[in-house]
Amino acid sequence: MQNRDSYNKIEDFLSDESFQKWVKGNDDPLNWSEWTVENPYRAKLVEEARMWILAMATKETTLSNQETQKALQKVWKKIGRSNEKLPFRAIWHHKWFRTAAAVFVVGLATFFYYANLSSPQNTTITYQELVKSDLNGLIEQTNNSDKPQLITLSDASSVLLQPNSKLSYPKIFTGNERKVYLSGEGFFEISKDPNRAFYVYANETVTKVFGTSFRVIAYANQPNVEVLVRTGKVKVSSNQNIRNATLEEVMLLPNQAARFVRKEQLFEKILDITQDKPLLASTNTMEQLSFDFKDIPVHQIFKTLEQGYLITIDFPEEKLKECYLTTSLSDVPLPEKLKIICESLGNNSRYEMNGNYIKIISNGCK
Amino acid sequence: MEKIRSHINNISDSSLWNKLRLGDEEAFSSLFERYYSTLVNYGKKLMTGEDRVKDCVQDVFVDIWTYRYKLNEAIVVKAYLLSSVRKRIARLHNREHIFSNIKNIDSLEFLFDFSIEDRLIAEETTTKKVEQLNKSINQLSDRQKEAIYLRYHQGLSVEQVAEVLNLNYQSTKNLLHRAILQLRKDFPISALFLLLNFSPNYF
Repeated sequence: MQNRDSYNKIEDFLSDESFQKWVKGNDDPLNWSEWTVENPYRAKLVEEARMWILAMATKETTLSNQETQKALQKVWKKIGRSNEKLPFRAIWHHKWFRTAAAVFVVGLATFFYYANLSSPQNTTITYQELVKSDLNGLIEQTNNSDKPQLITLSDASSVLLQPNSKLSYPKIFTGNERKVYLSGEGFFEISKDPNRAFYVYANETVTKVFGTSFRVIAYANQPNVEVLVRTGKVKVSSNQNIRNATLEEVMLLPNQAARFVRKEQLFEKILDITQDKPLLASTNTMEQLSFDFKDIPVHQIFKTLEQGYLITIDFPEEKLKECYLTTSLSDVPLPEKLKIICESLGNNSRYEMNGNYIKIISNGCK
Repeated sequence: MEKIRSHINNISDSSLWNKLRLGDEEAFSSLFERYYSTLVNYGKKLMTGEDRVKDCVQDVFVDIWTYRYKLNEAIVVKAYLLSSVRKRIARLHNREHIFSNIKNIDSLEFLFDFSIEDRLIAEETTTKKVEQLNKSINQLSDRQKEAIYLRYHQGLSVEQVAEVLNLNYQSTKNLLHRAILQLRKDFPISALFLLLNFSPNYF
């Protein structure tokens, strides 16, 4: 664009977007007001140009986002229809073609039927749809209480399910994938298994990990889905069954998060959870506790675990009084944590787990 | 706070266009979202009936997707879309007037009057001047009004206005220039403009 200092005719101003904005009383980042009064000839010209713009207003209506989306869906429908129409034309009278066409139509109908099954028309995906589409028998755990609930999966991963949340998972993970479905909020600690990726399906997002800990917040009635990483590396992408979904992926490292804005179907990446107020508010004791212990009495370690997982740990206090441990437990799920502790204690120490109640059986650390 | 909005809003028209040509549905949808409103607004100035206009704009996009592999790379997306809407409306128009003499898109009426931003005018003398100027603008030919609309409201370059109106560059330039001249004639011109008329930069 031409430098405004060389403007010398009305047209120059009319075609300058920032000038138009200024005239219409919107923002003035280029400071036209000041520039105008720098010289009297200029001021005159600007005043004329201003009048021209005022006399050339248009009443444009901006269509709502909703209306635009409706129109876009109509377009996709029309596109679908015109694709179907193509093969039927001049050769319609051949008998072989009729047969072929009949087969084609049936095929097409079947295809669209199944295509529809896996890709719902609208762009939101609900927990119900996800669970329905999984053909393995799933167990569903619902937390209707007012306290987080601990779930241990068959691969020794643990999930702290928040109130008003649901998790569906197979009794035993088979094949080379581990898939669970979440509605609501859960804190996941996934046991390491480089050969079997672990997937959390939550609304329109899929979180893929091999072994880490992270939180997923995906309530059906909330505008966003959020994934917050505590340890390890996590890959979040949009569920490919969403219509028009891009294969967008977000890689997250510890203390990073991804927020999927459901209405707009896009990801925001948050590079520092502690700098994002709404996210920080949704982390809780789990993320704030440290599971790195350096020469710490074991009863205190148990206390930390109790706080984090909201569990009860029953242990022979007297026998373990003199036991101190140095260990890093932050990157492993609860069963693994307990196992490591018992192994460190030695002496055939072991644990038993029954829901939120854990019993440590030990004769002390020598 | 550092945030990455890994979204399409920052992607240029032309890179979306190129993705679309390769069959990227998301790019297609984004361009649709970006321009639907603008195109409907423009279409309403060429044809009555908002629903018909919307249908027309949607059909333009259906065609774009259907023939995506044949689309030209080197275009200005906005101008191309405005031009496509205009052509499509002209075709509908021709079909409806099959027995009349109307033969080409030059005959499309521009059903539109510029209005006045009166909320921004404080003094009475200015009001009068603006009203007078507005009257003159609305007395311009349809083509001139449309050219002004495309150039100054849609922000197209003269070349792009030419493309949309299906005219060559020079005629478009003249069309716009004559419009401005006409307005100057009607409008009480200040001494400054007379002065500028002699400046070598004028055209």
